Amino acid sequence: MPRVVDIAHGRSGDKGDTCNVGLVAYDDEGYRLLCEQVTAQRVKEHFGSLVKGTVARYELPNIKALNFVLTGALDGGGTMSLRSDHLGKVMYAWLLRMEIDTGRAVRA
Amino acid sequence: MSKTVRLGAGMAFWGDSVQPAITMVEQGEIDYLCCDHLAELTMSILSKQRKKNPDFGYTRDILDLLRGALPTCAQKGIKIVTNCGGANPRACAEAIAGLARELGVTGLTIAVVTGDDIEAMIDDLMVEGVPFANMDTGQELAAVREQLTHACAYTGCEGIVEALGRGADIVVCGRVTDIALYLGPLIYEFGWSPDDWQRLGMATAVAHCIECGGQATGGLYAGGWKDMPDLENLGYPIAEFAEDGTAVITKTPGTGGRVDIGTVSEQLIYEILDPNNYLTADVTADFSQVALEEVGPDRVRITGATGKPRPETLKVNMGYRAGFIGETQFTYTWPDAYAKARRGLEFLKSRLERAGFKYEDELVEFVGQNSMWEDRVELIEGADLTEIVVRYAARCADATEARKVFTECVPLYNNGPAGVAGVGTRPPLKELFALWPCLVPREHITQSVDLVEV
Repeated sequence: MPRVVDIAHGRSGDKGDTCNVGLVAYDDEGYRLLCEQVTAQRVKEHFGSLVKGTVARYELPNIKALNFVLTGALDGGGTMSLRSDHLGKVMYAWLLRMEIDTGRAVRA
Repeated sequence: MSKTVRLGAGMAFWGDSVQPAITMVEQGEIDYLCCDHLAELTMSILSKQRKKNPDFGYTRDILDLLRGALPTCAQKGIKIVTNCGGANPRACAEAIAGLARELGVTGLTIAVVTGDDIEAMIDDLMVEGVPFANMDTGQELAAVREQLTHACAYTGCEGIVEALGRGADIVVCGRVTDIALYLGPLIYEFGWSPDDWQRLGMATAVAHCIECGGQATGGLYAGGWKDMPDLENLGYPIAEFAEDGTAVITKTPGTGGRVDIGTVSEQLIYEILDPNNYLTADVTADFSQVALEEVGPDRVRITGATGKPRPETLKVNMGYRAGFIGETQFTYTWPDAYAKARRGLEFLKSRLERAGFKYEDELVEFVGQNSMWEDRVELIEGADLTEIVVRYAARCADATEARKVFTECVPLYNNGPAGVAGVGTRPPLKELFALWPCLVPREHITQSVDLVEV
């Protein structure tokens, strides 16, 4: 099954214990699929125990981008976190792994 | 011909390479070099340095940058606006003046913008009814009042505008916002009103795109890192502003990297919360309708942002001492790498327990497998790994406890399972400074500007 990485690129960073993950679709169809399938609820489930708080989603349609704001996502924040990725720099990569249903048959 | 103001982004953080800024003033056509040196944690470190030595407390990389860039800036009339002053802008300005004399640069006016450091005012302001409650948790400041290392307000651009109006060539600020470093020169040059929310909001979107330096020009680019040219010589971004606050984003000519819709849009969504309400000390910007257009090689026009009135409160960044992290790592090799690693970990934890180890929280990462993803990635018990790295870290209230982590790990070398390497030498303890985000009504904060002539 295709993943978000096939239709979008992304970047993530920190604000205290909040992590934001931005996705930018490569084209209009990709943006439509992001809006349709990468919901805040799915993102929350996808990150599971990595995100203790909430997930909110915002749209930037002219640049075909979605922004996800993940609270309680960095083990106490950049200055306190025990994680190797204490600044959330690679959190975007986990979202790029999320599977997408393009509605088309995928060749085996 | 309508006026264009060219602002270059010279630094993205304390410790960033200074070469892109030097190359920019030499090869680029800019009016201002804007340098952001401060991240959330930086003020804690700088305050600690100032308390040890009253001549320190600023980011000393500005001196490396200016050693390379100042003669060219003086010759071309490029002004420099920076928050490198950190916890000690006056000492920073004096050090810059000393460097200028050493380099033979004269006729220089250095402005010092202060007013962000509110540590000495906290108790008085609390009496006046400012609670400084934690914005995230709602907790009262009393919980950490005695452990505070610093308190500074994220201040706006008014001091920078004043400094430029008084003839400053270099403006040295403390904790002004990254965005203020850009809005200050624009308000001064275009004569915008400080409540021209539309223009300030638009310009804020542009500044946000370039203020992390190389992240707008191909650095950290997830959209196509393989074919990004000459990352080792990455050019930093330059914004050519029109009077309406829109701009063309480009980069230093003759450098590596690329500016296109992909690189700019990826940076536009970096470290933002609600794009409809991007809060700064000077304006509440709205990025939601930003549009990008490629208007030439390495040239992207940015339009569509708007603004609303600035918040009535300023964000305050306080830091407090919060213990230490003790950490260690070790590598186990084939055969049975994962099983041995698990046994090695059990060995470490058991020894720590016998040593009476006290910790607040701990984390185990299997580097190369799940160090970024915790339990999101399941490790397969019988997987035939050639090697695996275990990283163990714990948060402790005091240094003595944190040191035990490495001490109790070392015996793995000759008491644990075979096939271990990579414990290394004792790593420095990491002291923790927790952040206490809170608010202060803006009427309590006044910037002031002093000049130092060289």
